[in-house]
Amino acid sequence: MSAEIFTNEAIDLESLPKYEEIHLNKPHSDYWKIICINLFILFLLIGIGGGLLIVFNQKVRPHVILIATVYVALMVIFFLLFWASFKKRGYAIRTKDVIYKSGIIAESTTIVPLNRIQHIELNEGMLSRIYKLGSLQIFTAGGQTGHLRIAGIPIAEAKSIRDLLLNKLDLIENPETENEI
Amino acid sequence: MNNDFSKPQRQSAFGIIIIAAHTAYKIGKATIFFLIYAFVKMGAAYTTYTLLGIGLIILLCLIFSYLWYLNFTFFLDKEKQEFVVNKGILNRDQVIIQLDKIQQVNINQNILQKLIGVYGLKIDTAGSSGEEVSIKAIDEVSAYNLKEHLLSRKTETVPTALVSDKKATDAENTPILRISSWTLFKVGLTSNYGQSLALMVAFFLYTIQEARHIMDVFELDKGYVKSTVLGLATLFSVAVIVFILLVVLLIINLLRTFYKYFELEISQHRHSLLLSSGLIAKKSTLISPNKVQITKYSQNYFQKKLNMLNISLKQAHFGESKKGHEMQGNTLEIVGCNTHERDELLKMILTRVPLKGKTFIPDWRFLNLPIFFKLVLPVAIFLIIIFNVPELKPYIGFAIAYLITGVLMIYISYRKHRISVNQDFIIKTSGIWDISNEIIMPNKIQAITTSQYPWHKSVDVGHLCLHTAAGEIHFKYGNYTEIKQLVNYWLYQVESGNENWM
Repeated sequence: MSAEIFTNEAIDLESLPKYEEIHLNKPHSDYWKIICINLFILFLLIGIGGGLLIVFNQKVRPHVILIATVYVALMVIFFLLFWASFKKRGYAIRTKDVIYKSGIIAESTTIVPLNRIQHIELNEGMLSRIYKLGSLQIFTAGGQTGHLRIAGIPIAEAKSIRDLLLNKLDLIENPETENEI
Repeated sequence: MNNDFSKPQRQSAFGIIIIAAHTAYKIGKATIFFLIYAFVKMGAAYTTYTLLGIGLIILLCLIFSYLWYLNFTFFLDKEKQEFVVNKGILNRDQVIIQLDKIQQVNINQNILQKLIGVYGLKIDTAGSSGEEVSIKAIDEVSAYNLKEHLLSRKTETVPTALVSDKKATDAENTPILRISSWTLFKVGLTSNYGQSLALMVAFFLYTIQEARHIMDVFELDKGYVKSTVLGLATLFSVAVIVFILLVVLLIINLLRTFYKYFELEISQHRHSLLLSSGLIAKKSTLISPNKVQITKYSQNYFQKKLNMLNISLKQAHFGESKKGHEMQGNTLEIVGCNTHERDELLKMILTRVPLKGKTFIPDWRFLNLPIFFKLVLPVAIFLIIIFNVPELKPYIGFAIAYLITGVLMIYISYRKHRISVNQDFIIKTSGIWDISNEIIMPNKIQAITTSQYPWHKSVDVGHLCLHTAAGEIHFKYGNYTEIKQLVNYWLYQVESGNENWM
C-alpha cells in the first residue's frame, strides 16, 4: 500500500489528453427550428392571453403600446438568448468519457466519465420526432447537477451513441446501482 | 433465534406494541388539535363518545400492527447476497436489498423500546427512492448479529478491508474515540448556533400559532393577552431581552448537543465503524468507511483555541424528492474531537491522513460579485431611500457598519477559499467563521463541470465544480489553465483506474 504512494508522482500533466481541445459536435440545425417552434408557441399563448386582457379589461387599454413593446422586446431577447445558447452547445464522446458544453452567458463544460454513468435515457418529443431528432440523458450518482442532457441529436446517431455507451457500461462491469427497490 | 437469518423470520413479538404505539402516536400527532377542540367544545355529554372513539382508534392500531407483524418477515439470502423483506397487509411488498448496496445500519432505541428491552434496526441504502427497511423490534443479540451479517460481506469485495482487519485485531471493540461530557459542554458552547437559532425561531413561531389556536378555543380576550405581553416587554429593556435570548440560545444549544451526542463513542468493528451516541434514545450507526463520499472537518476560532473540531461524514444521497432532513440523515456528525483523534479517524476512513498538496487560490475577482450584490447594491438602495425619506437619516450608521463587516467577511471568505490537490486527495477549504475542510478522493468524483464567463476569457479565470454522490465541491475564480490541467488529471485518475466509488 505504502509503496504505491510514490510511484505515481511523475505524471507529465502536459501529456495527458486535453478535454478542452476536443472537437465538439454541434446539435443538428433542425434543432434550432424546434426551439423556434417551441418559443413561437409560448409567445403565441402569452400573446393570446395579453390580447384577451386588452380586449376585455378597460383599465389596461391605455397601456397597449407599452405592453406591445415589452412583448416584442421579450420575444427578441428570448430568441437571442436561445440562439446564443444554441450556438454554444456541443458534445463529444471520447472512449472514456462524455463531454457536453452549454451555457447562455457563462460557458460550462461537463464531463462524465463512462465508468460513473448510472443509466441512460433517450427521449423523443413530439416535435423532435417530426424532425427525426432525439435527446440523450446521461445520469450519474452526482444528483441533479451531475447529469447531462444532450438535445438535438439525429435519432439514428443518438441510438448508436446509446448502444455504444451501453456496451461500454457492460464492459466496465459497473455494478448497476440504478434500481434497488 | 437462529443465528444466520437464512430462514424467513418475524421480528420480536413486542413489535406489535411498538408498531401500535407508533401508529397511535402518528394518528395522535395529526389529530391532537382536533381532539383538544372536541374535548373543549363538545362538553361533558360527548366525552364518553370521544373516549370511545379514542379507544376504537387504539384498538384499530393494535389490529393493524398485529397484521403488520404477521406479514413482516425478513431473511438473508446468502447465495444472492441479498436481504429480503416481505411486508404489507393487503398488498404484499417484497423489498430486496443487495448487501453491497447497504450504506449504513442503524440500531436505535427509543423510550418505549428501552422499557420493553428491544431495539429498532434500520437499513439505509443509496436507493433513489429513499426506500429503507426498518425493523421495529428485535432483541439486542439478534440486532447486532444481523448487523454483523449485513455488513460482513464486504470483506471479499473490498481490498482495503485487509488493512482494517489487521487494525481490528489490535483494537477489537475498544473505542477509538470517546467524547466526554466536559468536551460536549465545550462543543455546546461553541458550535451549531445557526441550527439552534433556527430551532428557537421555529419553536417560537409554533408557540405563537398554537397559543392563538388555544385562545380561539377558550375564547380568551386577545387584547388582554397582548397588553400583558407588551407590559412584560417594556418591563425589561431591550438589552435585557437580547441577553436572555442569548442565554436561552446557549442553553438550547447545550441541551441539543447533549441530547444528540451524549456518550459519543466510535469503535471499529472489523471493516466498519460503529458510532453510538444519544441521551434518551441511544442511537448506534454502522458505516463502512469506503461508502463515505465526502469527509469534512470544521473548526472556528474558539474551537481552535480549545483544540476541538467537528467532523462530518457525508454518504451518497440521491437528490430526488428527498427533503432536507433526509439528506442530513446521510451525514454523520462527530463533534469535539481533537487533532489527534481527527487524524486517527481520517486514517480509518481514508486509509491515511491526507496531506495538503499543491494549493490553488482564487483570483481577486472572487470579490467583485459578492461585494456588488451583497454590499454595494443594498447600500445604494438604502441610500436612495434615505435621500427621499429624511426621517431615516439617523440610521445611516447601520449602513456603514454593514458595509465594513460585509467587506471584512467577504474578504475572509476569499482568503479562506482554496483547493489543495495531491494525487490521492482533494481538499477544499472554505468558510468565514467556521472554517471547513472537505476532503474527497478523486475516485469519488462522478462528473466534473468547468465554466467561464466570456469576460473572464482574457484574464484566464474560471470555475470548477466537482460532482460527487454526496454533493458538490466548488472552486471559483481559479486560474482556468490550471483548472483545465487539474480536470484532465482527475479524468485520467478516474478513467484509468476502475476503482469503485462506493
